[in-house]
Amino acid sequence: MDVKDRLIAGLANFQATVNRVDHRKRGYHLEVTLTSTQVRDFALLLRRLDFYLVFVSAIHLDPDLEIIYQFASYHGPCRTLARVFADHDGAVPTISDIFQGANWHERETWEMFGVVFSGHPFLVPLLLPEEDADLKPLLKQPAALKTAESVTSDQ
Amino acid sequence: METTSGDRHSFILNMGPQHPSTHGVLRVILEMDGEHILEPEPVIGYAHRIQEKMGESRSWAGFLPNTGRLDYLSALIYNHGYVGLIERMTGTKVPLRAEYIRVITSELNRISSHLLWLGAFLLDLGAFTPIMYAFDDREQILDILEDVTGARLTYCYFRVGGVCRDVDDRFVEKTRAFIKRLRGRFKPIYADLVTDNIIFIKRVRDIVNITPDMAMRYGVTGPALRSTGIRYDVRKNEPYSVYPGLDFEIPVGSTGDCLETYMVRVNEMEQSLRIIEQALDRLPSGPFRVKVPRRLKLPRGDASFSVETARGELTYYMVSDGSDVPYRLKIRVPSFSNLSILKELCRNMLLSDLIMALGSLDLVVPEIDR
Repeated sequence: MDVKDRLIAGLANFQATVNRVDHRKRGYHLEVTLTSTQVRDFALLLRRLDFYLVFVSAIHLDPDLEIIYQFASYHGPCRTLARVFADHDGAVPTISDIFQGANWHERETWEMFGVVFSGHPFLVPLLLPEEDADLKPLLKQPAALKTAESVTSDQ
Repeated sequence: METTSGDRHSFILNMGPQHPSTHGVLRVILEMDGEHILEPEPVIGYAHRIQEKMGESRSWAGFLPNTGRLDYLSALIYNHGYVGLIERMTGTKVPLRAEYIRVITSELNRISSHLLWLGAFLLDLGAFTPIMYAFDDREQILDILEDVTGARLTYCYFRVGGVCRDVDDRFVEKTRAFIKRLRGRFKPIYADLVTDNIIFIKRVRDIVNITPDMAMRYGVTGPALRSTGIRYDVRKNEPYSVYPGLDFEIPVGSTGDCLETYMVRVNEMEQSLRIIEQALDRLPSGPFRVKVPRRLKLPRGDASFSVETARGELTYYMVSDGSDVPYRLKIRVPSFSNLSILKELCRNMLLSDLIMALGSLDLVVPEIDR
């Protein structure tokens, strides 16, 4: 059983949508859509399966912010992209106690987009100066905002 | 400043952002007890230029020069990842000659990055001579690459659909001569002067040990990861370009200490020479570029592309709304995750060993800050 099958089997316990993606066209193998309550269980599963964190970031969409997590494995080709929409209050739980590397990625996502990672031990600006903590520079102007459908492939 | 917490008497030492051994503008706030570090806190962002915003405020073609200015020591590999991503999204087929030229120049770039690292790392240790030899060799690569790319550091040579200029026989000749030269220098210079030097070995062995578990928790990639014994290299694990057809090995260590990280990089240079040699032998004739419209629209949807830079895994992730201006561009850089282990790695370490840790991680700060 390779890494990908083990992950899909582990995800069967979740009420999450899992899509196999064509790596030649999209550059990753699995796409997972989660709710914010599943994020920590998902991270614990990946930790058990020896994945490493590639990045945490966000996409500013209309009406909500979408938080994206990319993981990959040292042991087999299984690049996984997880999508989560933030809660109504713009929050998702932190995974920085499961994958310590997420600490900085979450700080960056917070300062760039204003996503609050609840439970994060040190949510202060990482790249921006302290006085620009409210700038949220990667948020889009309302006129430039797109819906999730208009940035999703038809295929 | 002195602080006293409980029965622990400590003081704060500020290192950087302008300090020769932080290699750029990295700052580390150190809580010290004598010469021992209680808590190191890296402070980054001094070279932040908000590259990701630039990536979504101009057409995809306009961002290409920026890619060479993130990690300026492996600019060509950064070019490679970006053009690879656009080619993946648009389904552009690249001529075989261009792919071979990309691999040859990328590997030359990797060697030049490792040579600079070797010199600078040993300089941190107090050895002044090796950097002279390393820069002499690196200079040869810069001359070769300058002839074809027109630049010596911040290259912007790859284009979507190929490369911007063809290589000639002179390039092939000079590259072959360089391979011969560098191979002849590994033993008498790098091995005898550095690698087999007992003072060097005693200084770097068994310090700054990275464990595989730590690497996984922080997402460490590149030579720092491979020194722990995990054989992971994007060129092998998620092959791109013509790497699958080339015969090369991924050097690994076992203990993850400074010595093994050093050995991994030195061995990688030899493997890169192997790759270049094979690619030169197989370099096909034919077109070096297919024409791609400059205002080519990117199809709706997202895509990711990963490459192995001299420092680890670089991933570009792009979301497109169907226009020629990307909706979102995320750049995952290797040094960012590699540096984030510093806090755990250097706790209770001697201050002088922190300098070794920073050198051993081979940081390029403008890449971390983006």
